[in-house]
Amino acid sequence: MNRQELTNLRSLAIDKQQKYKHKICVCCGASCISSGAEAVLKKMQDEIKARGMDQEVEVIPTGCMGPCNQGPLVKHMPDNTIYQKITEENIAQIIQSQLIDKKPIEDILLFADSREKPFVNANEDPFFKKQLKIALKDCGELNPESIDDYLVHDGYQALSKVLFQQSPEEVIAEIKQSRLRGRGGAGYPTGLKWETVYKHVNDHKYVICNGDEGDPGAFMDRSVLEGNPHRVLEGMTIAGYAVGANKGYAYIRGEYPLAIKRFELAIKQARKLGVLGDHILGTDFNFDVEVRIGAGAFVCGEETALIASIEGKRGTPKPRPPFPAESGLWGKPTLINNVETMASIVPIINLGGEWYSDIGTPKSAGTKVFALAGKINYSGLIEVPMGTTLRQIVYEIGGGIQGDAPFKAAQTGGPSGGCIPAAHLDVRMDYEALVNLGSIMGSGGLIIMDDSSDMVDVARFFMEFCMDESCGKCVPCRVGTKMMHDLLQKICDNKANSNDLQRLEELAIYVKETSLCGLGGSAPNPLLSTLRHFREEYDQRISKPVVNSY
Amino acid sequence: MTTITIHINEKEYQVAPGKTILEVCRENDIEILTMCHLKGIMDVGACRLCLVEIEGVNRLLSACTTKVGANMIIRTDTERIKRYQRITTELFFAERNHVCSVCVANGKCELQQLGYKVGLDHIRYPFLYPQCEVDSSHPWYVMDHNRCIMCTRCVRVCNEVEGAHNWDVMNRGYQVRVISDFNTPWGESITCTSCGKCLHACPTGAIWPKAIVQGQLNKKPEIIEELMEKRAMKL
Ligand SMILES: Cc1cc2nc3c(=O)[nH]c(=O)nc-3n(C[C@H](O)[C@H](O)[C@H](O)COP(=O)(O)O)c2cc1C
Ligand code: SF4
Ligand code: SF4
Ligand code: FES
Repeated sequence: MNRQELTNLRSLAIDKQQKYKHKICVCCGASCISSGAEAVLKKMQDEIKARGMDQEVEVIPTGCMGPCNQGPLVKHMPDNTIYQKITEENIAQIIQSQLIDKKPIEDILLFADSREKPFVNANEDPFFKKQLKIALKDCGELNPESIDDYLVHDGYQALSKVLFQQSPEEVIAEIKQSRLRGRGGAGYPTGLKWETVYKHVNDHKYVICNGDEGDPGAFMDRSVLEGNPHRVLEGMTIAGYAVGANKGYAYIRGEYPLAIKRFELAIKQARKLGVLGDHILGTDFNFDVEVRIGAGAFVCGEETALIASIEGKRGTPKPRPPFPAESGLWGKPTLINNVETMASIVPIINLGGEWYSDIGTPKSAGTKVFALAGKINYSGLIEVPMGTTLRQIVYEIGGGIQGDAPFKAAQTGGPSGGCIPAAHLDVRMDYEALVNLGSIMGSGGLIIMDDSSDMVDVARFFMEFCMDESCGKCVPCRVGTKMMHDLLQKICDNKANSNDLQRLEELAIYVKETSLCGLGGSAPNPLLSTLRHFREEYDQRISKPVVNSY
Repeated sequence: MTTITIHINEKEYQVAPGKTILEVCRENDIEILTMCHLKGIMDVGACRLCLVEIEGVNRLLSACTTKVGANMIIRTDTERIKRYQRITTELFFAERNHVCSVCVANGKCELQQLGYKVGLDHIRYPFLYPQCEVDSSHPWYVMDHNRCIMCTRCVRVCNEVEGAHNWDVMNRGYQVRVISDFNTPWGESITCTSCGKCLHACPTGAIWPKAIVQGQLNKKPEIIEELMEKRAMKL
């Protein structure tokens, strides 16, 4: 297929969709599926068919729409009306009122049970109004299993643009201009990483998309992979063109069977269409992608461990340097980027690096996806411009704390991060601001805690996670996390003395500075940050030393 | 041959590029403590004893895996490094059951020597006392996991030098164990050639020949490097 044929195909797909008067989107994100979305979808499809309305109403499954704890969700397009907590019993009513009588059903509108006046157009609801969806843009609106639907949403236009109008250097310049930073945790400038891989001359280079997502409670990457797999695939292909690679691997954790299934389907469809494989869109550029399934070890998200795992070895990290950009998969220059990073490439190519860099804060451009959870009224998946304050996220988007309890702290960055106390609710969330507070952006886990949370126990919980997930290769992490966990347990049990606390603090700095990889390097973070902001909770449980054994 | 200039502990050195910081230090009699490093096999940077400070790098890097670079300013002897070496040593001793007085390697053990070197007089962390197996199923050798410090020297020697890959690692975190084949008793291994190289590679008394008693173990870890040199000469 060449460029013209792609344009024609897209027009055809658009024509086909325009025949429909209504589009019913049934959210089939992980959370909605677990509350029964699949039955709702089937019932809706059957009912529309039974009533002979299938020529004018299109019913599709979509990826995550965001307000996960209100699911299953059903959205009507073009009205943008979202209904919540839908069961099979609601279907007939929705068809009758929304589609035939054109009257929204007040009592099942999104947030109907918690807002005084729920919104008919969901985009006007503060939950969505304060968000800016770039990485998640078409998630929740397109059918992730249909490449035609992706084409309608400008799919593969960015790839076509780079292949015919831009040199690899120009693509890299565009990404650099966007100031996009890696969304996998560390926030390394993406353009710079691409350039480094590009500059290493080698016949074989690789592109890896990191979809391991092992942080407890995180589901950002999962939602992107399930909701818009072609977007990630197109981003990887553009990356391959830019850095000079012909082969890519999508490393997806085994706990995400739906993401794996949809991504593999996307690969098949893209190959068939000629936007993946040999001579993409009739050019000399070849690029193919394979899925590799991770076995669920947190450490396999670390880039060198992930590479070892793809090579078929035990997934343990290696010291860097050398970095993967120089010597990665099978010793070849390798670009490794997170799913959300890859999903941001297509809009940057389509709308320009400058457009993207204007969003966010001076040092952190663009948007960030968060998995909002904990004691908050509206939990789920959100995407906000960098620099949005924690207060806006908690009180405007999240609808405040459950039962109007006082906000105590927010934990960012999961087991590698730290907590932000109430005094810093107005922090503008970006990479630097969070580091200054002793936390990290991480991959986007955001757990809200109210005044019933015990911060020492929070630290103990994350330490237990790191202790269990340590690969066991290096001494500080293997033994240090166990020692720190046991000491934290001792404090929780009110059995510790001040020597124990002193030892704990010394170990924390030691493990942070000496561990081989980022798992050990950041394992002490939740402990250090709770010590920084909530030291009194430790002191309260500590008795004076009995004997000084130093 | 071109050389590069580096500074170690405020002294200037002209060295060949491509060498590791550890190699350069050893050539110049600068002490670096090591445990997982063994000449003749690949370095993995696991024990973290050899960490050094490099100006302009915000992390400590392992000397055994980091190559020297032009104008590097390296410190191997700061208070911080010494403190960390001591903690690492303490954690080694606290992790499993090291009872030197009854050990075959008493007097010849690298861990014991490390303890003397860092001036270990007591251990500030609770001993974990794990329940570890002693595998004496092999006709000639014994593997005592109580004394294993997970340096993986045996694993690498078996894989890289002997080519048998009998040893590997299982589990995660503090529950890691060295295993024979797919976790079968060593005596039932189908890959072990009984060559004995792992005995010499092991820094402690974890692997030893039967019929040896306390303090009698005689190890020659340097034979691994000699072997590799002889092989290279043959080419
Ligand atoms: C213990 C550990 C776990 C990690 N897990 C992930 C992960 O699940 N997903 C991810 O994208 N990056 C993860 N990372 C970060 C990766 O090593 C790597 O930095 C990232 O994939 C680079 O992509 P980016 O530049 O797009 O952020 C992890 C790092 C560590 C140390
Ligand atoms: S820091 Fe932890 S996870 Fe990383 S190499 Fe060391 S033991 Fe493994
Ligand atoms: S048995 Fe010896 S050589 Fe093997 S890992 Fe344990 S201490 Fe190291
Ligand atoms: S000798 Fe370098 S890390 Fe062990």
